[in-house]
Order: sequence, then structure tokens, then C-alpha cells
Amino acid sequence: MSATGTCEYQPKDYKSDLKPIWCPGCGDFSVVQGIYRALAAIGRPPHEIAFVSGIGCSSRIPGYTTAYGFNSVHGRALPIAQGIKMANPELTVLAAGGDGDGFSIGGGHIAHLIRRNMDITYIVMDNQIYGLTKGQLSPTSQKGRVTCTSRFGSLEEPVNPLLYVLAYGAGFVAQASPTDLVGMAATIEEAIRYPGFAFVNIQSPCVTYGEEAQQIKGLKAISETLASLGHNPADRLAAMDLAQHYGEKLHLGVFYRNPEPPPTYGDLVKERQALLSKDAPPKERILDLFIKK
Amino acid sequence: MATRGIDFANLSLKDALDLAILIEDEAQERYEDFAAQMDQHRTPEAAKFFRYMVENEAKHGRELTARRLQLFGDAPRSVTPAMIFDVEAPDFDAARAFMTPRKAMEAALASEVKAHAFFVAALPALKDVQVRALFEELREEELEHQHLVQIELAKLPPESGLSEEDFVDEPAPQ
Ligand SMILES: Cc1ncc(C[n+]2csc(CCOP(=O)(O)OP(=O)(O)O)c2C)c(N)n1
Ligand code: SF4
Ligand SMILES: [Mg+2]
Repeated sequence: MSATGTCEYQPKDYKSDLKPIWCPGCGDFSVVQGIYRALAAIGRPPHEIAFVSGIGCSSRIPGYTTAYGFNSVHGRALPIAQGIKMANPELTVLAAGGDGDGFSIGGGHIAHLIRRNMDITYIVMDNQIYGLTKGQLSPTSQKGRVTCTSRFGSLEEPVNPLLYVLAYGAGFVAQASPTDLVGMAATIEEAIRYPGFAFVNIQSPCVTYGEEAQQIKGLKAISETLASLGHNPADRLAAMDLAQHYGEKLHLGVFYRNPEPPPTYGDLVKERQALLSKDAPPKERILDLFIKK
Repeated sequence: MATRGIDFANLSLKDALDLAILIEDEAQERYEDFAAQMDQHRTPEAAKFFRYMVENEAKHGRELTARRLQLFGDAPRSVTPAMIFDVEAPDFDAARAFMTPRKAMEAALASEVKAHAFFVAALPALKDVQVRALFEELREEELEHQHLVQIELAKLPPESGLSEEDFVDEPAPQ
């Protein structure tokens, strides 16, 4: 309790007793720290937060928080998170997972949450690899990447997660990395506060299967904050321009924040319900509609 | 290592002490996490050293807390743990499965060097004389901590020549 009598949450309040089984050094350790800090800054009690993930190393993350968590099915974090948000709109809903979870098997879901402007924050821990299944190519792996499933180098161009969500019209798009922990926590906080679908791509190194250039030192060498470039996050086209450098440059911060967020799907449903319920009979008489006189 | 939202120029002695306690807490928690990671990855020697560091940080934290209580009682705290990022805590990526005790000690030494650099860098911004004196004291203590880790390092037998690369860590299947 603070001196003013209001409850104040500390990052530790969001840390569960479960010990992460990630490889020591994994970038996901920094992401969970960033989430603890962002949640503490927002200050909602853990039981008012639902955290859904898919399957992958990164998808273990809800279990390491004290929020309600669901380490669900590969690629299905978003539809489940959407169901939770619609069933209980008062909850703060987070979804998280890996680049494989989000952009391979789950790639088809993103567009629909964006077009509905579901009030959900989606955090992708992008390590350009399938970590959990021991180092296969992922949709964000660079062309030429040698892995156990691409012995002679990948033949495919990577998906650009930033352009992907910007093109579908996401209202909040940002990127973070453990090279800037303060920035990461601030970005996650801002994403959660955005009233609508918010996407944060986090370059989170896989120390076991990742390449040298994708480790902290390599990331530091190519990182640059968008603020230092004078980028205006209200400018969607400028954001798309900058997002094209995904893979060569690591731009950190908010690419795009819609200055006039449209209503969320939840708001529209509430409005529709209010409209239709005006002439509806009282609940206790609903059954009468089905009973023939 | 970084901070968020701290106004060093106007830091009061109470805030400075609270900050120093938070810095010790954060380091203690990180060493506890590292020790747990080493347990999980069957690296008992490194775990043992990280637990030694937990004790060191806890001891220093208790001393600072006693001082804070003596000077300011239980007056509310206005700095928060969300304002500091790995000031004395070793970087989250400083741990590796199967790290040798030497590597564990080198990671701890690097954090003591980092903490020392933090107090050195913060000093010019401080205006309050008592706060300056506290930060100077903390800066010197970080040098002492470095010395303690160096003593532990000197006790180690030579390395076996094996590195982490000689081991493969297996993430759990799902
Ligand atoms: C339906 C289904 N297909 C495939 C798998 C196997 N599988 C588990 S995790 C994973 C990919 C993990 O990669 P990513 O999502 O990038 O997460 P990371 O482990 O890298 O954090 C795959 C293919 C599965 N569990 N379920
Ligand atoms: S395999 Fe990679 S992504 Fe998975 S826990 Fe280990 S370092 Fe992290
Ligand atoms: Mg991945």
C-alpha cells in the first residue's frame, strides 16, 4: 500500500514461483522481466490479467507470471485470447509466442484480430528459429540460413512481421530487444495501454540454436531507436518505409500508433447489444417466445 | 544497465538509500534465478557460487536497510524497482548451461565492474552533499566486492579445457 492508500504493484508481484526451464542466457528471460515491469507500471492486479500463448520455448512465458495463464495449442494463442476478451471484456488480455507460432501455423489469425481491432496485446519473441523443436527453419529465418532442415541453406525469403501487421492495418506496431531493457518495458507498457490490437515484435536471441549475429552483441551493432531517427509514430507510411529494413537494421520503439484509434470489436458488440436489447423482452420472459400459446 | 525516471539532481538521501537497497535486491534476485537455472541444468558448482553471491548481496542489502530504518523509519518509499534495470544484477544472458565456476565468477566480476561504473557515472549529476557521500561510499564498496570475487577466482584450480560448447543443452520436448 502506498501513503495515499492505493495499491501499488511491484515487478515481483507478477513473478510466479515456477522456475523457467529456458536455456540459461535465452533472450526470453529479458522479455519476461520487461513484462513484469510493464505490468507493474500499469498496476492492474494479476487476477485481472489473462495471458495466453501457443506452443514453443517462448510460449512458456504465461506460466512464469502470476496472471491467469494458458499455454495453449501451437498457433492458436490469438483466437483463444479473443474468446477470453469477448467473454470477459474487463480483463487485460495478453497473447505471446514465437515467430513460428505466430507467423507459420498461426499466421492466418493475425489479420482477423487486426481487422476487428481486438483489444489484445500480442508479443512475439522473434528468434528466427524453431527453438523448442531444436533448431528448424522458421518463417523469419533469413534466406540462406543453414539449419537441420535446410542443410544447404534456406531458399525462402523471410516473412517481415512488422510489414505484415502494418499492411493489415494494426493500430499499434512496435519492436523491442534485450539490448534496451528500459525501452522494452516502456514499449510493452505502451502496447498494453493502446485501446485495440497492439503488436510488439521482440528480437529475443536463442543462445542454443541462434546464429552469432542474432546474439546480443550482434543485435547491439545494428540497433537504433526510432526516436533517435526523429520518426513520427503517427505516420503510417513512414513506419512502413522503416519496417522494410527488418533483418538488416534493428529499429527499436514504436513504428506506428494510430492517433485516432477506431472502436474495438468489444465496443461495437456492446453497442449492438444495447441497441438490440432495447426492444427485447425481459430476460425472465425469454422462454415465452418459444412457447406457443 | 539503465534507469528509468530517476531525477539524480534532486535525489534525496532517503531516495538514494532506497535506490541502493533496490539495486541490491535486484542483484540478489538475479543470482537466485541463476542458481535455480544452474540447478535445473545440472551445474552444481556454478549454482553454489551464485548462492554465495545471493548471500553477499543480501548482507549488503540488510546493512543498507538498517541504515534507512535508523534515519527515516518507515517513511513511504518513492522510488520503485521498475526504475532500475540490471544495475548490479548480472545481465540475464550472462549465464550459460554447464558454465564452469570460473565463468560464473567472471560473470559476477563483470557485474561488480558494471555497478561501480554506474555510481561513477551518476556522481556528477548529484547535488545533495549527503547523497554524494553515499554514492562515493557505494562506489568504493563495489571495488571491495570486485576484490572479493577476485579472491575466489584465485582459489580456483586451472580450467579443464572444456567449454560449454562441449556440452549440448536439451530443451524439453512438448
Ligand atoms: C500442431 C502442432 N504442430 C507442430 C508442433 C511442433 N512444434 C512445437 S513448437 C514448434 C515451433 C516453435 O517455434 P517458435 O514458435 O518460433 O517458438 P520458439 O520455440 O522458437 O520460442 C513446433 C513446430 C506442435 N506442437 N503442434
Ligand atoms: S532453445 Fe533457444 S529459444 Fe529455446 S529456451 Fe533454449 S535458447 Fe531459448
Ligand atoms: Mg522461434
